[in-house]
Amino acid sequence: MAPRPRPSTRLSSEAPSETSGSTSPERAADDDTDFFMAQANDSESSIGVATFRDLHMSNTLSAPLPPIGRLPPEILIAIFSKLAAPKDMLSSMLVCRSWAANCVGILWHRPSCNNWDNLKSVASSVGKPDSLFAYAELIKRLNLSALTEDVSDGTVVPFAQCKRIERLTLTNCSKLTDKGVSDLVEGNRHLQALDVSDLASLTDHTLYTVARNCPRLQGLNITGCSNVTDDSLLIVSQNCRQIKRLKLNGVSNVTDRSIQSFAENCPAILEIDLHDCKLVTSPSVTALLTTLRHLRELRLAHCLEITDSAFLKLPERMTFDSMRILDLTACDQVKDDAIERIISAAPRLRNLVLAKCRFITDRSVSAICKLGKNLHYVHLGHCSQITDSAVIQLIKTCNRIRYIDLACCNRLTDTSVQQLATLPKLRRIGLVKCQSITNQSILALAHPPRASHPMVSNLERVHLSYCVNLDMLGIRPLINNCPRLTHLSLTGVPAFLRDNLTAFCREAPPEFTPQQREVFCVFSGEGVTRLREYLNRNMGPHLDETEATMYDDDEELDEDDGHVAGLMHATGINDEDYMDVPPQ
Amino acid sequence: MSSQITLTSSDGVDISVDRTVAERSILIKNMLEDLGDSGEPIPIPNVNEAVLKKVIEWCEHHKNDPVTATDDDDNRRKTTDIDEWDQKFMQVDQEMLFEIILAANYLDIKALLDVGCKTVANMIKGKSPEEIRKTFNIQNDFTPEEEDQIRRENEWAEE
Repeated sequence: MAPRPRPSTRLSSEAPSETSGSTSPERAADDDTDFFMAQANDSESSIGVATFRDLHMSNTLSAPLPPIGRLPPEILIAIFSKLAAPKDMLSSMLVCRSWAANCVGILWHRPSCNNWDNLKSVASSVGKPDSLFAYAELIKRLNLSALTEDVSDGTVVPFAQCKRIERLTLTNCSKLTDKGVSDLVEGNRHLQALDVSDLASLTDHTLYTVARNCPRLQGLNITGCSNVTDDSLLIVSQNCRQIKRLKLNGVSNVTDRSIQSFAENCPAILEIDLHDCKLVTSPSVTALLTTLRHLRELRLAHCLEITDSAFLKLPERMTFDSMRILDLTACDQVKDDAIERIISAAPRLRNLVLAKCRFITDRSVSAICKLGKNLHYVHLGHCSQITDSAVIQLIKTCNRIRYIDLACCNRLTDTSVQQLATLPKLRRIGLVKCQSITNQSILALAHPPRASHPMVSNLERVHLSYCVNLDMLGIRPLINNCPRLTHLSLTGVPAFLRDNLTAFCREAPPEFTPQQREVFCVFSGEGVTRLREYLNRNMGPHLDETEATMYDDDEELDEDDGHVAGLMHATGINDEDYMDVPPQ
Repeated sequence: MSSQITLTSSDGVDISVDRTVAERSILIKNMLEDLGDSGEPIPIPNVNEAVLKKVIEWCEHHKNDPVTATDDDDNRRKTTDIDEWDQKFMQVDQEMLFEIILAANYLDIKALLDVGCKTVANMIKGKSPEEIRKTFNIQNDFTPEEEDQIRRENEWAEE
């Protein structure tokens, strides 16, 4: 029987020299040169490999090696990385010493802290001075966001010794303060991504700590950290020059000073979100676009100071081929001239949000047509000057559109919607408060022309609140012909505000006033199915006949392959469209 | 138009193969690019005839696959789905399975290595440590105390 390891003998990179790898032929290389780093990309973090301090080779080599014993550590690691379930990884660790050493790094790469018991167990092993492995050094990703306000500065104390964390996600852990977050970050040179969104009490202190410690930082999300100012962000921009993704939503003190410094110092930026950074002005936007040659995503929603000059002052003939997403929600000083300019300079835009850019006209829509097949998502809600002729042109040239929102474009009529119905890939359509549209529009969506359309409608989400002319004659065929429909909003549509129908609605949000509840009418998920069943069971048979004779395509319902494409939901139109809330 | 090249296995057997098929191996592809195709047999000193033939069979079947783009993250790593042909292909004894994996690693055929690793991962999934040991004929070299300690320190992974 081999002597067991002494209690204090776990291996760590700081361990005394007698533990060095030379005693063990099975010992893996250190984690900077392991299998995964050899092919690492920026989104992938390294897997740590640990070993016991005392690996008694006389013991392990006494038996003849089974065939699997020929696999070198890097291949064992590749195998263990295919195991998704921590339970399977733990079972592998318990097989033998060499498996334990090669698997522990994968198990602890991202310890699961999705409930309080797990967190306690993880924290206690990390803090244990005589643990079998140096777990603290193996943790590369730590995500406490599931525990929200249960996490306090005290909770994270054991993790302060995890100095190799690469991704730290503390979203919504709103009780955390500068103290807790700074202790986690201090001394960590490996941090690549930090998400502290909605940790409202954080101040410049935390960001100074980040700037001082984290030269490899690539992603920073400080959404809602409204106490943070330019002072610390300026230092971050100077020290963390590998930043690629930056979210400053609602960090309302941010001004041109720090944004221009990011433009100047951080050329790798791919995505920047300045939602509600109301002090940011046009020169920042010009600088970001001009200097960040890889920029894919620029979100400027509610940056109310931004004007046409943000785009008109871009260098002549400069193009922005990397740009995919541009969000100018409520930037109502941006008008047709600017839109024409940026569209022609960014021909590969895929998502374009111009909601509440209320002064734009058909001229902007004509410019958008130049995006052609590249355009997948377009939001023109509240751009109420837009007319049918521009929308028809848009649909003809940009026929890959999946999502379109035209809320409150109240000049639009059935003519526009009938054209929209021809979009073969359309999944979501927002027509809230397009008050002129009638059942004719809805019938067109329910029965698009065959030539341009797949056999089964792809429509998943349809927003029709306050389209007051609609009734069952339009809606019933729609829900019967759109098997993928998971969301249908009809708030404020009189024909649906009846108890027998609203029974299938979801609950109105708690903050609604009685008046708002009175008109709330949104069917989602199961609610759509139940409404469909109810209508088909209980509504007058003459409706069925009408439908069957007019549209002989009941069989199409069977073609649903059951796929509900969820991929785009995250970027889609806001669920809460009882009003006409812009995306995100 | 694809030309033939010859590979020599570790046990000295020459095997002729389409160049495009052989180039699924990045090692061979780079050798051909660096050295030019002299027409001389290319020695593959780490892989015997039986295994090399198996590997070539796989490359032959997959010769028209798009070259896997730069490995991306978890999606690729965490799924253990294997297509049907590959599953059948991997129905070999363990000796051969691990030889194929080693050969794929040596020859730098990422997609084959990946399939091999997934196959082994699927043999591990859902099993207890003892069942895994039995499956692979591995000796338990832990002391009971160590086993116990691993269980305690990794309790969170039990769920």
